[in-house]
Amino acid sequence: MSRLRSDRRSFLKTATAAGVAGVLPLSLIELSFAKPADNFTFAYISDAHIQQIKGTSFVRNWDRGLIRAVAEANLLTPRPDFVIFGGDLAQLGSKPELDHGAELLSKLNSKLYCVMGEHDYYLDLGAYWSKLFGPQQYSFDHKGVHFVVLNSILTYDDWTFNRWPSAEQRMAEMAGLDNPNGSPFLVGQKQRDWLAKDLKKVSRNTPLVVLSHSPLQKIYKGWNFWTDDAEQVQALLAPFEKVTVLYGHVHQIQYNKIGAIAFTSAMATAWPWPYPQTYAQAESHLPKLTVQMNRADPFFERDATGWQFIDVHTGRSDVRYNLYNNKSRLVAYNEQTQQPEDVDYQSPERRTASQSHF
Amino acid sequence: MPEARRVLLLSAGLLMSGALASFASADANLGLPPVPIPADNPQTADKIALGDKLFNEKRFSSTGEVACATCHDPAKAFTDSPLVTSEGINKLKGTRNAPSVINSAYFTSMFWDGRAPTMEKQAELPIINPIEMGLPNHDPVLKVVREDPQYIAAFQKVFGKSGERITMLEVTQAIAAFERTIVSGDSPFDRYYFGHDKAALSPSAVRGFDVFLNKGRCVSCHTIEQDRALFTDNRFHNIGVGVNRIQNEINDFAPRFLKAKADGVDVDNAVLSNPKASELGRFAVTSTLDEIGSFKTSTLRNIAVTAPFMHDGSLKTLSDVVDHYNNGGITDPKAHVNDFLSGGIRPLNLTDPEKADLVAFLESLTSPRFAAQGAAK
Amino acid sequence: MSPGRRLLLLAAGLFVSTLTVADPYTKEDQQRWEEEFQGVVKQGRQLWTDGKLGTNGVACAQCHPNAANTHPETYPKFQKQLGRVAGLWEMINWCLRNPLEGQPLAADDPKMVALLSYVTYERRGVKLEPGKH
Repeated sequence: MSRLRSDRRSFLKTATAAGVAGVLPLSLIELSFAKPADNFTFAYISDAHIQQIKGTSFVRNWDRGLIRAVAEANLLTPRPDFVIFGGDLAQLGSKPELDHGAELLSKLNSKLYCVMGEHDYYLDLGAYWSKLFGPQQYSFDHKGVHFVVLNSILTYDDWTFNRWPSAEQRMAEMAGLDNPNGSPFLVGQKQRDWLAKDLKKVSRNTPLVVLSHSPLQKIYKGWNFWTDDAEQVQALLAPFEKVTVLYGHVHQIQYNKIGAIAFTSAMATAWPWPYPQTYAQAESHLPKLTVQMNRADPFFERDATGWQFIDVHTGRSDVRYNLYNNKSRLVAYNEQTQQPEDVDYQSPERRTASQSHF
Repeated sequence: MPEARRVLLLSAGLLMSGALASFASADANLGLPPVPIPADNPQTADKIALGDKLFNEKRFSSTGEVACATCHDPAKAFTDSPLVTSEGINKLKGTRNAPSVINSAYFTSMFWDGRAPTMEKQAELPIINPIEMGLPNHDPVLKVVREDPQYIAAFQKVFGKSGERITMLEVTQAIAAFERTIVSGDSPFDRYYFGHDKAALSPSAVRGFDVFLNKGRCVSCHTIEQDRALFTDNRFHNIGVGVNRIQNEINDFAPRFLKAKADGVDVDNAVLSNPKASELGRFAVTSTLDEIGSFKTSTLRNIAVTAPFMHDGSLKTLSDVVDHYNNGGITDPKAHVNDFLSGGIRPLNLTDPEKADLVAFLESLTSPRFAAQGAAK
Repeated sequence: MSPGRRLLLLAAGLFVSTLTVADPYTKEDQQRWEEEFQGVVKQGRQLWTDGKLGTNGVACAQCHPNAANTHPETYPKFQKQLGRVAGLWEMINWCLRNPLEGQPLAADDPKMVALLSYVTYERRGVKLEPGKH
């Protein structure tokens, strides 16, 4: 039973919302750390797949996914330090698609860092993308954490340069996830050398966050949930004490721990993908740790899509998956077990029916 | 036994079986599953009769003029149609359109934003809302039921309780028990679909049913199943009604609302008195970003006699409703679609005949009991 | 030869000739028919990936790589989006109408048959579980 407030103060007249954590999911606020000044947050939006139909008409479904993520990210209070876009802004890498995607992203009221995706790259090898967003691999430091952004969707030169009669054909071939004519993702020797050099100036106890479109793991080759030189890249990251790899491409919730590296995927804003083990004709290796996302009701076009809100504290990343039409999921780094875990559903008895895929 | 006494007993028996029949008849509820009855509030004829009386009790308002039945009038399909938004004490106007009590027993949460989890809990709030029934707290209610001789007798009979032992729990349980009898199916649609009576629907309504299932995409939220049709999924969706009015202010307004909520502002008061807060919908209750502008899916049963439509009563006729959906979640076709629109809403490209047929189908969802009450085209 | 004997021989001949066509198909027939099926599966794969079934260029394969997450082995089943128990082809039509913003196909339309062939073939070996959600 609620009592009336005798002052009948209209809430519209209350003080401004400085420092209000109200819009943040409350459980994030409950995480308190030794040195709160080290904490910061950022939003991570990925896989928008803006797809042109003709002229200025684009697939409305994917447009609405990006619009929604941007609108919700803009509501975060306090404002996140920046936003990362995780790759695959366009579907076929065309200028109209990249422009339309950039326009939708421009509504964000935070600084934006972008990661290259294969759907952005294979038409013109990222030339127009770079005009819009800058270098394809780079690093930056933020509040004591070293961020590295990789272009991890390269592939073997022969496939990229010699195999296809036209750029459009090459892009179309790479665009098919299950295309048997595809080619596995690579970071590549050149970029690994660049990475090694970049990391030389970073001390071992500096927290590292690596942003990559491909998973930097080997999960399922048939759908390129795969980085062919994953082991070599992981070896470069291994000496560091606190490493988080955030990756897109898979359009589903995945998380894992390999050695000292915590891997966490991003959802797509566009559409969800099935988990690899649901393909009956091939074997795949989804990290056992992962509590899967809900199965989508395709009527709700945003179901099993979403975006991420990441809280970096003491160098570890907790990832809140903001799922539309479903309860949010929080995958937090558990200091006891030293691995990322879903705070609600990790233990098998707490799973829900819609989290089982077949 | 004297003749008069025998007649009395007989008629009492008939009355009893009639009362029981009215909430147990399968025919009148064709198309509906059994009413969910909570284990701690079983139905009895006396409890229902008590609930009926409480439902109509004007002394539960500060002016002595407003009862539940004021806004949920049995003669108006348990709404206050044609009011756009309801009027409480002193004709104070609220922000929301009164939902019908009919078939509300099948909802898994109450109010447009689901802020009450049960019928029992729902009954408490309008009594103490300053623009509905206006009491400062529930004490005046308890005074009435503990001191009025008729209530004393009834509560004793139904709950075996008197005096201080009568609490709001008993009051709201009786009201809920009464409301659980306000159930009806057996509409022309039910007879057509579950009763296999091909003549029950007009050809236009049959075509409209096809639109409902296919091009109109209605069935995913306004659910029909193999042997029953609740016409609601009991979920909350932003379909672009109302929220469009505040969409340019949401960035600023939503965080401020949450701060006010954290500071103790009462959600029930706020959403009924402040039009902007009302448009936040389910978000005001759960603080979940994803639910901005979301409202509970209404049942479509008897919809034709409960105009005007939507949580703010902003759509006058069923044609207006169909147009809003056809436009993909905007009433004015030139309006901006709000960023938080449900993924299930999209332009439908219905032709004019398809729209008219869909309206005819919606009109076929009225149960015979309410068919005589005004229908809004 | 007497008429009776002729009749007997005739009947015997008919009987024998019936026996020789009792096997309805040969190994060659079987192989040919299965190849014909595979041809239709290929057509289904083409339709699955070319984005031309609807009006917005979206291909089935975008959400269902290798037809994953279509669950042909669970049909018929209650399909929420249709409000009743339905067959796989009806759900394919739902997808054609909704995410692909196109027109439904008749159950016996060659394109529908091709789609069904492809979807089911990609799910070969999975046991039937009709009605499973």
